Amino acid sequence: MNYLQKLIRQAKLDLFVIVLINNVILIAGWIIFRQLLNWNVVYTAIILGVVAILEAAFISLSLTSYLMQPLTAMWQAVLHLSPSAASTQAPKAQDLSFGKDLVSDLLSHIYQFINVAEKVDTENKQKAKDLSNNFVAQNLPIPFFVLDSSETIKYANKAAAKYLGMNAIDLLDKSIYVVLDMAFPSEDTFDSWLKNAKSSSATAGNTWERVKLEARDNHPMYLFDLAAYYNRDNTDHNETMLLLFDHTKAYSQDEQAVSFVALGVHELRSPLTLLRGYIEVFEEELEGKLDPELEGFMEKMHAQVEQLMSFVNNILNVARIDDDQMELKLEEIAWSEILDPTIDALRIRAKVRGITLETRIDEKLPTVAVDSLSIQEVINNLVDNAIKYSGKSTVIKVDAHLTKDNMVETTVQDYGVGIATALIPNLFTKFYRDHHNRSQIGGTGLGLYLSKSIVKANGGNLWVRSKEDQGSVFGFTVQPYSSLNIKSSKDRQELIKGAHGWIKNHSLYRQ
Amino acid sequence: MQPDQNQSRQQRSILCIEDEHFISELYERSLKKAGYNVTVISDGEEALRAAQANSYDIILLDLMIPNLTGIEILRILRDPTRLPPISSKIIIITNLEQRQDVRADIEKQADGYLVKAELTPHELVDFVNTIK
Repeated sequence: MNYLQKLIRQAKLDLFVIVLINNVILIAGWIIFRQLLNWNVVYTAIILGVVAILEAAFISLSLTSYLMQPLTAMWQAVLHLSPSAASTQAPKAQDLSFGKDLVSDLLSHIYQFINVAEKVDTENKQKAKDLSNNFVAQNLPIPFFVLDSSETIKYANKAAAKYLGMNAIDLLDKSIYVVLDMAFPSEDTFDSWLKNAKSSSATAGNTWERVKLEARDNHPMYLFDLAAYYNRDNTDHNETMLLLFDHTKAYSQDEQAVSFVALGVHELRSPLTLLRGYIEVFEEELEGKLDPELEGFMEKMHAQVEQLMSFVNNILNVARIDDDQMELKLEEIAWSEILDPTIDALRIRAKVRGITLETRIDEKLPTVAVDSLSIQEVINNLVDNAIKYSGKSTVIKVDAHLTKDNMVETTVQDYGVGIATALIPNLFTKFYRDHHNRSQIGGTGLGLYLSKSIVKANGGNLWVRSKEDQGSVFGFTVQPYSSLNIKSSKDRQELIKGAHGWIKNHSLYRQ
Repeated sequence: MQPDQNQSRQQRSILCIEDEHFISELYERSLKKAGYNVTVISDGEEALRAAQANSYDIILLDLMIPNLTGIEILRILRDPTRLPPISSKIIIITNLEQRQDVRADIEKQADGYLVKAELTPHELVDFVNTIK
């Protein structure tokens, strides 16, 4: 049975009866006054008019409160459930004389809604309570924050409060950016990541190293690694989690640049700076004044210092690569602008061993995209190797040309001792040196390992072809600038690459 | 030896903040030969005072010096709230090996960053000549 139809039917019936009774009273009055009492028309009309007005007033008053009973009850029910007017009494559906069934039915629906809403609310409160009662979250010895969709802190554990020198309760309902004013080493920041995650993913995770928190009244300066997790559909609306791994001590030391290699390099560089300086002064001041023997010694000294310089750079670069600290800045440059001066600087080393460097660079080469500093080390290492392993031969040929796949290739060919085929696969391993030659030829076994890493990081490849007693050809490729997917001048500035892959601007890659 | 050809035009002044005497001696020799007016200071605090009191055209700044580090001096000289601003060009000269991000940070504030071992005195002069 539809309660609303029943109510409407009852209302129609009630109204019909009332109007009928009203009319019957008026007709009966007319008959009584005119026929039985013989009143004249005017008096009768006046009396009945007054009766009609009184009747209308009585009916409208009583009928309104009667018909409005369901609405009044519903109004009471809504107010009763509203948190802002909860003092209103709950309606009693059983006492209603009109619309009892409909109101009872509607009230039961309303109470059901409220129950569902209250249940969700209680569950959420329970969940938040669970987190603060959760043994793991609360006692995790790592600062831990939970944020809602507006990046407001909804939970912070004991470690977080202690780290920031605040009470956990004071952290709640504050913006994370107010509490943690973090500085990141690159543009890859927490807020940019979160913004991106919110617009493009249901869940996401990320980590950052060396995040800095400036000192405040209640805590000192901190350096830490940050881990974050985001989940858009989390039912309790706590979308984001943050974990802070403190490394203040270790990172502060790093900032002072006192790693072992850095220290060693610094100690080696100082005397090298001086030696190179003095040699230059002597070469300038004594030019033409020395006998050929002393002139030869001077050149050899110069060559040895340059050799030592290469060695220091190699050590440093290997440490950088192993530490994932090597950063390459790829720039557009004519290949000859790099190759020519590098080879020229190597001529003195070749000369003191009686070797001539012959260079041939294809004039039609396109400009290349390379990191000049590191690629010079590659040329240095390959030519240096060729000099060391030249034996009695007196020529080393350097040739730059374009390959079939449009890469700029440079080959360094010597006609010396060569390498046995079986040993070739080991050449690019760190610290590997040809055991046949170890006693006669100096070196660290770092050069080829390093060169291969650098060439790869520059986007090219390094290869070798060799025959024992006939010499070796080492070749490497670099990419023409035009093959880079460069979209704007902004990209140009951000052409920065790590030895183990792109580290900035992931839109840049070879087409 | 010929008298220096650059003597006639106005000498540019260089403050060389370097505590390794052998190195500053070499740099001073080459820069003077190239016609620069060179002052060498090996103490950090003294160097900062000198840099603030005189308007050197170029400051060569070593990072490891006593009393105030080169980074501190750089920060103070490049502090945007300081008035009037120092017009000197600042070139970092160091043999320290820095983390890439630290180095990038220093480079941003300076007008040049050179590794001493990677260039001879002559090459240093060539570089300084390019600084306008």
